[in-house]
Amino acid sequence: MIRVAAVGDIHMGPDSQGLLRPAFDTLDECADLLLLAGDLTRHGTPEEARVVAREVRGLPVPVVAVLGNHDHHDEQPEKVTGILQEAGVTVLEGEGTVVECAGSRVGIAGTKGFCGGFVGRSAGEFGEPLMKEFVRYTRRSADALHGALEDLGRDGCDVRIALTHFSPVADTLAGEPPEIYPFLGSYLLAEAIDTAGADLSVHGHAHMGTEHGMTAGGVRVRNVAQPVIRRAFNVYQLHAA
Amino acid sequence: MRPFAQPASGGAQRPAGSSGDTDDAGHIEYRVAHLRDRLAAEELAELGVRAEVRAGSVVVSGTVPSAECREVLLRTVHEELAGLAVHTDVVVAETASPDHAEDLP
Repeated sequence: MIRVAAVGDIHMGPDSQGLLRPAFDTLDECADLLLLAGDLTRHGTPEEARVVAREVRGLPVPVVAVLGNHDHHDEQPEKVTGILQEAGVTVLEGEGTVVECAGSRVGIAGTKGFCGGFVGRSAGEFGEPLMKEFVRYTRRSADALHGALEDLGRDGCDVRIALTHFSPVADTLAGEPPEIYPFLGSYLLAEAIDTAGADLSVHGHAHMGTEHGMTAGGVRVRNVAQPVIRRAFNVYQLHAA
Repeated sequence: MRPFAQPASGGAQRPAGSSGDTDDAGHIEYRVAHLRDRLAAEELAELGVRAEVRAGSVVVSGTVPSAECREVLLRTVHEELAGLAVHTDVVVAETASPDHAEDLP
């Protein structure tokens, strides 16, 4: 059994230093690894990233993260990534990593993802250059997720997890105004997950959404935005095939 | 939910082009839009709080990361919506460890 702890949207700033650490310090009692599903900061500043870094440095389990849109706001995502990496966090963007857990190889493919909406109600790659680039950005992210999941499969991972910030499905957005669904995720991410294969999909971003969902291909999706799970993290128990 | 029965007072800093003190429903909507812009742009970078017009009042609800964020949020709401009836239901994110795991067989 593999125990996966996950949380997103912790939105740390100087005033929140230490709020999550007491719970994080108990991770080795209930989890084998911790996934951070983006929006770790409020503005994506190095100062805020250092708050996150101090909160997770030296934790008793491996920490794997993707960034969220807030972590890009200050337009220094590379710096945010570097600060987290220096604290021991594996930060994924369009790539995968393998964590050895309880005798199993757990593959995590991660990308921030982006917007566009869901089948029948989605943006199209058409018209103005800005509009086309909007959709292409999401498509590149989904393609990278697909490639990373396939690589993890070829590497013989016992379990594969897709980690994103934006949502791959509309299920886990229930509770958000339907009008803004296109800004909360994209079916392209779900298509990547379903065609490459995964055992679990974890995302954040939708604070007023719902924890449980599923892709069309039957992959379980969990929205772990902290306002949704109402905990420092949730734990999901997966079983290697 | 904690209603603010009395009009909030003073210190409103509205973006250029925002409405005055009218409580006309259409203008309330623009003021709510400006509130949302301000919450995103200023120190909170808050995009996850909902602000909606309901029967002539404004309902502000959601979850924020810290008690300090909640204080700043409520102060901003008071300033931006001065003179309007405002109801708030804003909570601070919970930080306890989970008491159980979800098994995914």
